[in-house]
Amino acid sequence: MQYKAPLETYTGRLKEVTIGSGRKAVRIGGQNILPLHYFEGAAANRCVVALEVDDNGAAGWAGHVAGPFRDVVNDPLKWAKRCMEMGADLVCLHLEGTDPQGSNKPAAEAAALVKEITGGLDAPLVVYGCGDDKKDIEVLTAVAEACKGDNLLIGPVVKENYEAIARAVAENGHCIIAQTPIDINLEKELNVKLLKQLPPEKIVIDPLSSALGYGMEYSFTIMERSRQVGVVYGDMAMQMPIIADLGRECWKINQARADAEQGMLWESITAISLLLAGADILVLRHPDNCRLLKEAIEGKL
Amino acid sequence: MILIGENIHIISKVVSEAVRNRDAAAIQALATAQAQAGADYLDLNLGPARRDPEEVGSWLVNTVQEVTDLPISLDTMNPAAMEAGLALCKTRPILNSASGKAESKELMMPLAVKYNTQVIISVITDLGCPPDVDARVESIMETVAYANGLGISNEDIFVDPIILPVSADQKQVREALEFVRILADLLPGVRSVVGLSNVSNGTPAHLRGILNRTYMVMLEKYGLYSAIADVLDPELVGLNRGGIKDIRELIHGVMEGEQVETSGLPEKARDYVKTARVLMGDALYSHAWLES
Repeated sequence: MQYKAPLETYTGRLKEVTIGSGRKAVRIGGQNILPLHYFEGAAANRCVVALEVDDNGAAGWAGHVAGPFRDVVNDPLKWAKRCMEMGADLVCLHLEGTDPQGSNKPAAEAAALVKEITGGLDAPLVVYGCGDDKKDIEVLTAVAEACKGDNLLIGPVVKENYEAIARAVAENGHCIIAQTPIDINLEKELNVKLLKQLPPEKIVIDPLSSALGYGMEYSFTIMERSRQVGVVYGDMAMQMPIIADLGRECWKINQARADAEQGMLWESITAISLLLAGADILVLRHPDNCRLLKEAIEGKL
Repeated sequence: MILIGENIHIISKVVSEAVRNRDAAAIQALATAQAQAGADYLDLNLGPARRDPEEVGSWLVNTVQEVTDLPISLDTMNPAAMEAGLALCKTRPILNSASGKAESKELMMPLAVKYNTQVIISVITDLGCPPDVDARVESIMETVAYANGLGISNEDIFVDPIILPVSADQKQVREALEFVRILADLLPGVRSVVGLSNVSNGTPAHLRGILNRTYMVMLEKYGLYSAIADVLDPELVGLNRGGIKDIRELIHGVMEGEQVETSGLPEKARDYVKTARVLMGDALYSHAWLES
């Protein structure tokens, strides 16, 4: 008699989120299986890898990670195109330059830049504000309005500022990143609130990604549990895909900045761990790690 | 279910100021209000009572006894304050509380013998709060055996499984529930008691009541004898007296795993069903649990 391995089936299915429009679009989520359990059922979409671009000339990036982009860091559109040439599935723009503690660029300037990138780039775009609750309302609202219909993935929104940004995101046809501080109960609460303004197919969860040695296991646990609650227990408020914005967390660590090889390991190990935990978008800085992670996702490692 | 009024608690600003200023009227107002609301006992929680423990313990007990005959549950971790208060109680009080901690066995339990009180014994040990039902059982068997050895009979013991906030550790809500369910078989004669409001600690204030009330109904179904609770919540007291029968039945339905249909229910009933699902661990808790 032939042995047949028992297979689990689950009641829940993640929502499928489309980022970008037309032929530029990528889809994430949609699966009714646990992370990488391709043998259990339909992995509607596999995890995608984004490379990071900023509007601040890679200020603060160590030379060995900025290296592949050295000649384009002051031109975010060219930088974004380079990311795609180097194998990224999509680009993640961080509007670092809008930070009131730093360059404090005005919202209109940031919005014009994002519009320029979406116009010239043949790929979907994730846009992160600087993380200042108040400034992000101005900046992300302006971005949403300027890029109406481009279906960007815009965030982060947090419990202090989600209402205004979600309104602009909904009105202008984008997706939103719901960010909470590594806490599954707060994560669900923000999802529940956002679901009053947006359908679940327009929401991506950012539970915060900590780097290896700096609390990665907390991020891992929250992502893993989010996935279990959504897929295994069928909790409708927890069925959105997850973004792991980890590259910047890894490359700011002293050991990663001091030594290229250590940095590469730091980013790749953190990325593979969070992939296993359930991330649907990995945001990285180094193109070699982008290639490595794509191999891992395809099961070629 | 026996209700022990929780509202004279040192953590409340009104109470801590009244105790500090020896403002008898403020304390007596709270005592009277709870007595009128239907409390069976009054819990007097002094916390650690670091300053003048004997004087504070006696003052508080005397102050309360001036306006009510209700028996007292005296609640402090300071043995000196405890002893001073117990010595003055006119009706047989409850010592709240002893535990499996070495210090408690040594300093608190003997006071229950000396003053012939009833005593609340919690599952806590020097290792902390046991993480699951089995560990709670192990701890309480040992601690109750120790108390029996001192001459405290099971009939004078209230066992406290320790309720933890649903917002902090959702799984513990169910563990405590299961413990209450098996307690009568485990230790015949003992009664059970919980610090009910702790289940909603950390939850926004306006949402605490429904968590407390729902959990009370759930615990009662599994045989809970008494609760230290917010007796100034009239809906809680009403539910305890058996009112709102359909709500009790809905909560029991969720506990028995029924697929309770909520679409036709009034909002209030639906909220109780949602709350019961969260407390049973069927749905992940968030502060917005009533909104989804």
